[in-house]
Amino acid sequence: MTSQVTPYAIGTALQRLDGRSKVTGTAPYAFERVVDNATYLHPVQATIALGQITAIDTAEAEALDGVITILTHVNAPRLASTEDRELAVLQTDRVSFRGQLIGAVIADTPETARQAAGLVRISYAQWPHEAELSSERSDLYTPEAVNPSFPADTDEGDVDTAMSAAPVTLDTTYTTPLEYNNPMEPHTTVALWNDHELTLYDSTQGAHTVRTTVAPVIGLDPERIHVSAPHVGGGFGSKGIPHAHIVLAALAARTVEGRPVKFALTRQQMFSLAGHRTPTIQRVRLAADTDGRLSALAHDVVEWTSKVKEFAEQTAVPSRNVYAAPNRRTSHRLAALDVPVPSWMRAPGECPGMFGPEVAVDEMALKCGIDPVEFRARNEPDVDPETGKPFSSRHLVECLREGADRFGWHHRDPTPASRTERGWLVGTGVASSIYPTLRAVSTATIRVEAADHYRVDIGATDIGTGTWTALTQIAADALEVPVGHVDLRIGETAQPEASVAGGSTGNATWGTAIVEAARALQDTHGRPPEIGAEASGTTPNNPETERFAMFAHGAQFAEVRVHADTGEIRVPRMLGVFAAGRIINPRTAHSQFIGGMTMGLSMALHEVGVLDTRFGHVVNHDFAEYHIPTNADVGDIDATWIDEDDPYVNPMGAKGIGEIGIVGAAAAIANAAHHATGIRLRELPITPDALLR
Amino acid sequence: MDFLRPTHWRDALDAKAHHPDATPIAGGTDVMVEINFGRRRPSTLLDLTGVPELTDWSLDDGRLRIGAGVPYARLIDELGDRLPGLAIASRTVGSPQIRNRGTLGGNLASASPAGDGHPPLLASDAEVEVQSLRGTRTVPVGEFFTGVKRHVLADDELIAAVHVAPATGAQQFSKIGTRNAMVIAVCTFAVALHPEQQRVGTGLGSAAPTPRPATEAAEFLAAELTDTDQWNRPRPLPESVVRRFGELVAATTAPIDDVRGTANYRTHAMAVMARRTLGWVWNEHRTGRQQCA
Repeated sequence: MTSQVTPYAIGTALQRLDGRSKVTGTAPYAFERVVDNATYLHPVQATIALGQITAIDTAEAEALDGVITILTHVNAPRLASTEDRELAVLQTDRVSFRGQLIGAVIADTPETARQAAGLVRISYAQWPHEAELSSERSDLYTPEAVNPSFPADTDEGDVDTAMSAAPVTLDTTYTTPLEYNNPMEPHTTVALWNDHELTLYDSTQGAHTVRTTVAPVIGLDPERIHVSAPHVGGGFGSKGIPHAHIVLAALAARTVEGRPVKFALTRQQMFSLAGHRTPTIQRVRLAADTDGRLSALAHDVVEWTSKVKEFAEQTAVPSRNVYAAPNRRTSHRLAALDVPVPSWMRAPGECPGMFGPEVAVDEMALKCGIDPVEFRARNEPDVDPETGKPFSSRHLVECLREGADRFGWHHRDPTPASRTERGWLVGTGVASSIYPTLRAVSTATIRVEAADHYRVDIGATDIGTGTWTALTQIAADALEVPVGHVDLRIGETAQPEASVAGGSTGNATWGTAIVEAARALQDTHGRPPEIGAEASGTTPNNPETERFAMFAHGAQFAEVRVHADTGEIRVPRMLGVFAAGRIINPRTAHSQFIGGMTMGLSMALHEVGVLDTRFGHVVNHDFAEYHIPTNADVGDIDATWIDEDDPYVNPMGAKGIGEIGIVGAAAAIANAAHHATGIRLRELPITPDALLR
Repeated sequence: MDFLRPTHWRDALDAKAHHPDATPIAGGTDVMVEINFGRRRPSTLLDLTGVPELTDWSLDDGRLRIGAGVPYARLIDELGDRLPGLAIASRTVGSPQIRNRGTLGGNLASASPAGDGHPPLLASDAEVEVQSLRGTRTVPVGEFFTGVKRHVLADDELIAAVHVAPATGAQQFSKIGTRNAMVIAVCTFAVALHPEQQRVGTGLGSAAPTPRPATEAAEFLAAELTDTDQWNRPRPLPESVVRRFGELVAATTAPIDDVRGTANYRTHAMAVMARRTLGWVWNEHRTGRQQCA
């Protein structure tokens, strides 16, 4: 058991400490940093999906007034390492995907840079490319591991035998489309190279992650790279793994040494350069007895990666932990295609991977004639089905039951297409959520500046989640002082090294480091510590992970209305009930939950990257055509939680909440659409034409 | 790129005559998007936002003359009572910012099959006033569009205004999109009753290469209403009439499959929207109360 911090500030709905500076426009985002003598970078991108550059004509571009230099693979500085092929920009004449960075114009104004980039003439030798995902491809392969380091396949018992023996079975395929993270703030970098020192103002989920990633690529000692990211306008994973544009900005800065280079991706460029979620094809097999007890659960996934760099989304992984079934199997098969590099998108793995199975469970419940909430409860495991360890805490069934009560589930006639109101078919649906409780390693330093002034330094990031506020609350309780006495500093490599804001690990990791630092301060310097005292703490390994499986859980409920004549679909109501340990700040947590659910609504009804496989590019690469919901699409979305006491996860008892809100949301909507119409939707997004009877 | 910015209408016509390849720009909600996305690179832009004559509207001899530069927001605020169908359609355009910038003349000049303003103009028998140094002509809006994003304007001509009679009867507009706001139409339909002429007007959007009226449907309904003396003594419409109207509207479509929807869906939805909007206008005609979608 981990020694727990006594919560005083933790659990209170403190307003965002950075709120005022954000709404008054004084919080500095990367591109807005005021720098002297700035230059502007506009990239040249490949217009073919695969081939070789045979000639580059920059004469017309260079003739423009204000163009400082043009970088291509011919003249760009050599990188120290090209091992990470996504980051190895301008090192060869090879083109590996459409939209790839193949040049950069650096100019005195952004307009000149953009105009000149359009004047660079590239000739190519074009080769046949492959951009079509199919489960029939002969070149599908098994990755060594799936993100971040899970085994690709698991196999326990005998699924085939269980399937043939069971009275009720299901063998169905579900698909989720190509999807894109679209944080409000695009990916931006301001790079300054001066006397073997590189300064990066970057829109990133991890200042130290950028440093440690970029250092070996450009061949600088990490200590000579300084990254600053105090405020970030959203990331959702797309700013977690540093992408190629940062390296391009660094190369450009080295070329114009002494002058800062400003580089902001356009929304369209983000679709090639900022990662995406692979489309998934998910075969789900379930076997159950007539009481709805699962005897087999198999989840076999086909998805893509880029030939440039492997990213294997862990889509089948949640099926290893969510329900009991003695015979179980999961697998991942990849097609390596000539497409941009996929990456993290909110709840990689769990988000798409809880669509197929959660719709399948709904179908299975119906086949067994059992209420979908009850069906899930009957398959609640006593211990983690994958490892056999007990859960440190698990309240999935409580979430389902609490949600059912609050949502009014019990008044539901289970018969599909049984309720019509003024021309609209009305239905309700449910799905489970699960997300692992992980933590990384970070270090925090606390210094007593004055009797009521504790300065807390940690290189953590706030990507809009509320880190500034939540870590201040944690520090206050760890130090046993009011929040007003805590002076938190985050977002810089000048601060002690901290992990990326990803995997819903932020508060758990950084908060634990702060608690360790506070304890070290008190142990070394007494209570209260004298002015000038200082101590550091580092997130230790958690020995409890040897004994316990750790997950957050939740239940998603949705009401869907489908117009009987047009198939128009509305989601007037969603409710999420979560069990995620202790909630640090109910205000920011509520925003995280309903934000995730809204993104799940977006996944259910809107988001799809339309890939033109002939050319290897996404045709709807902007907000006019890549739809996310407008306010008018979002009805009454609410989230609540069960107070969960988990002394094993970390000293705050808190599980991560940044991602679980999206998990299961799309399945709940698809299940509700089925209940409304009787039409089973196994393919996202759900559009009106699919709902016409 | 040359940028011309006349401050008088006459100068604008002069500029267009001397730069026949110039692309007129008003709110920029279409032209700037195309330039930004590299879809076209006009050699000359003719900015009409400095021409005061384009931003007025007036009522002369019982007919409205709406300057081509009047934005959607003003169509809603200033003309919503006289042109309810156009106002309903204007409310579905983009966001508040787009409705402040985008203009009726720009909507016509872009000539998109999905232009939200076109169906209500068709339903109200609007005319487009076109001018050049050679003179003025008016083109019925039904003859204005010649193909996808194409129209009848000659190289030296500019859209001066739209002429349309204020509503004398109920008008409605319906739009289906893949989300609830800020969306390009999957398909649109407008209907207007003209009781004083015992006529019905219709307009279809996003269902054919050009916006078009459903003439046969409109004539069928008008004849039905006249034959049964319903213009003066309205009663609930027989279901068979409503259904036939929808069928005839659907028969007018010539849609395509695209990312927003299938051709079959568009044809089906058009019949639904025709029935739906007819229900609304007929109820309004009977009760005098406007209905909301």
